[in-house]
Amino acid sequence: MYQQDGEEIFVIDGHVHLWDAREENIIHQGGEEFIQCFYDYHTGFTPEEREWDLEEYRYYGPDRMTEDLFGNAAADMAVFQPTYLTDFYDEGFNTIDQNAELAEEYPERFVLNGAFDPRDGDAGMRDLERQKEEYDIQGVKVYTAEWKGESKGWRLDSDEAFEFLEKCADLGIDKIHAHKGPTIRPLNRDAFDVADIDDAASSFPDLDFVVEHVGLPRLDDFCWIAAQEPNVYGGLAVAAPMAQNRPRKFGEIMGELLFWLGEDRIIFGSDYALWNPDWLVETVMNAELTDEQKDEYGIELSPDVMRKIMGENVAELYDIDIEAKKEQFQSDDVTEEFGLGDHYGAPDATAD
Amino acid sequence: MSSRTHSEDGPSVPDVRARLDRVTDPELDESIVELGYVDDIVLRGPAVDVTFSLPTAWCSPAFAWMMASDARDEVESLPSVETATVTLRDHMHESEITRGVNARESFASTFPDADGDVAGIRASLDDKARVGRQFEALNELLEAGLTERQIVALRREDVSPEDGAVFVRDGSVGISVEREPLAEYVEKVEATGLVETGEDVLFRTPEGDPIPADEFDLVHKRSRLAKVNMTGQGNICDALNEARFDPDRPETYGPQADES
Repeated sequence: MYQQDGEEIFVIDGHVHLWDAREENIIHQGGEEFIQCFYDYHTGFTPEEREWDLEEYRYYGPDRMTEDLFGNAAADMAVFQPTYLTDFYDEGFNTIDQNAELAEEYPERFVLNGAFDPRDGDAGMRDLERQKEEYDIQGVKVYTAEWKGESKGWRLDSDEAFEFLEKCADLGIDKIHAHKGPTIRPLNRDAFDVADIDDAASSFPDLDFVVEHVGLPRLDDFCWIAAQEPNVYGGLAVAAPMAQNRPRKFGEIMGELLFWLGEDRIIFGSDYALWNPDWLVETVMNAELTDEQKDEYGIELSPDVMRKIMGENVAELYDIDIEAKKEQFQSDDVTEEFGLGDHYGAPDATAD
Repeated sequence: MSSRTHSEDGPSVPDVRARLDRVTDPELDESIVELGYVDDIVLRGPAVDVTFSLPTAWCSPAFAWMMASDARDEVESLPSVETATVTLRDHMHESEITRGVNARESFASTFPDADGDVAGIRASLDDKARVGRQFEALNELLEAGLTERQIVALRREDVSPEDGAVFVRDGSVGISVEREPLAEYVEKVEATGLVETGEDVLFRTPEGDPIPADEFDLVHKRSRLAKVNMTGQGNICDALNEARFDPDRPETYGPQADES
């Protein structure tokens, strides 16, 4: 939990990956370009002393991930958002099954999301059912810019996608996380367009749509859609690390999001391992708006607002009882491993 | 930026730079000169060579194409220039773009696989730039004391950006305003074709319609949002640019020759 001046903030990182971009897993030049591009985003928005080298960035493994997320209690829980890219990576970049390796070791700490791709047709439908049966998923991540054979992307408002969304609704998978963000080489920029969210969200009012990366570089289109569709949320991955070296811009983006979406529909995410909650949570928590921004937007990043953004909003979506979790974490495996009993206020923590 | 002058007959480097300053990065709506994309200007009498590079090697080929062809056209609009050639460097499609633009081919013939033509992309980005610039223009008019009702009723003929003047009350009252925000807005709204005659209503919703008086505040806020979005993308490009040209960047990185 983030703690400062007597304030306690339970942090759920809404966007993490356990990826594998080792050379032996890369089967298409796009896979190498993709991880190289990620690495530019990593170094572009990470404090110099916290930068990784490229080799550790390709593959960090479950143990390191556990320590980065929870070792100093920067995050309390995290949501896995898979990215398949099976045309680029032999075993996939981070599929539900790859992420499950860690999620199943600490089920109390992780939410494991699945994925679908309407281009997979009937086999994709069956796999969605398998994901529900095997992992009881509540949400999916969709990646509309993914290459598949000749196709360079798909739209969430297509007939095929609607069939999958209907299937999700039938199976009780009601959180749809759509990657809509900055261009990632070699993927097509236009495949990240946010316009398809509008129709999907209004056609499926019982599903919630989390637009990851708040649609940048289409923040304007995203906010306008979200202002009209109450079941559209904004995921802060990519926007969050701007707090580190572009704090003024971060303030403006938060101002716009709070103005158009309000404080209940913004969700923190590190996009680990793009950025590490280990330092990012503190950076975001310390971010301040300029006086000019406070006047312009009429808002403040108060502890109550930040508590929602950093954990309560996603907890609400995924039915996570934060108070019960705090109690559980007084003595779960992660707490044992990193000696966090005291942090979570375990009754006997000080007796050791 | 380096530059060389080889002749007294042709244009000067400041002339060329002033024309290039009119070319914008279409996604950021900022001048390519201001953004530091222009690396070199070489004068050979009435012929001019311009070299430029972009923040990312994978920056949209369509955007790169627009900037390259706009740069050529702007420089060639100088009476003292006969031909301008442009060279794009450090981009994954640098050779196709450089060759295609200088050979005056179309984007579609240079990139047969690309989906969406340049004109369509340009129109949609011009439209975003229009809304972003509108924010500054509206602020200037509010600051000058115009009411919301007066602002939404303004027609093209009611403003004279070159004189920094706006006329209200049937043209009977002139108000002096800062030139730049208004001039930049008028330039873009005219480029989009939304305003063509003196009778046309000047300010518009993002969808292109005149602004109902009771929606002024909403449109004003949406204009701010468009502005924040464009400059936000500028910040991302800027950070990637620093990462890309960091001397510590691993050597394995770089545009690959084979893009198939």
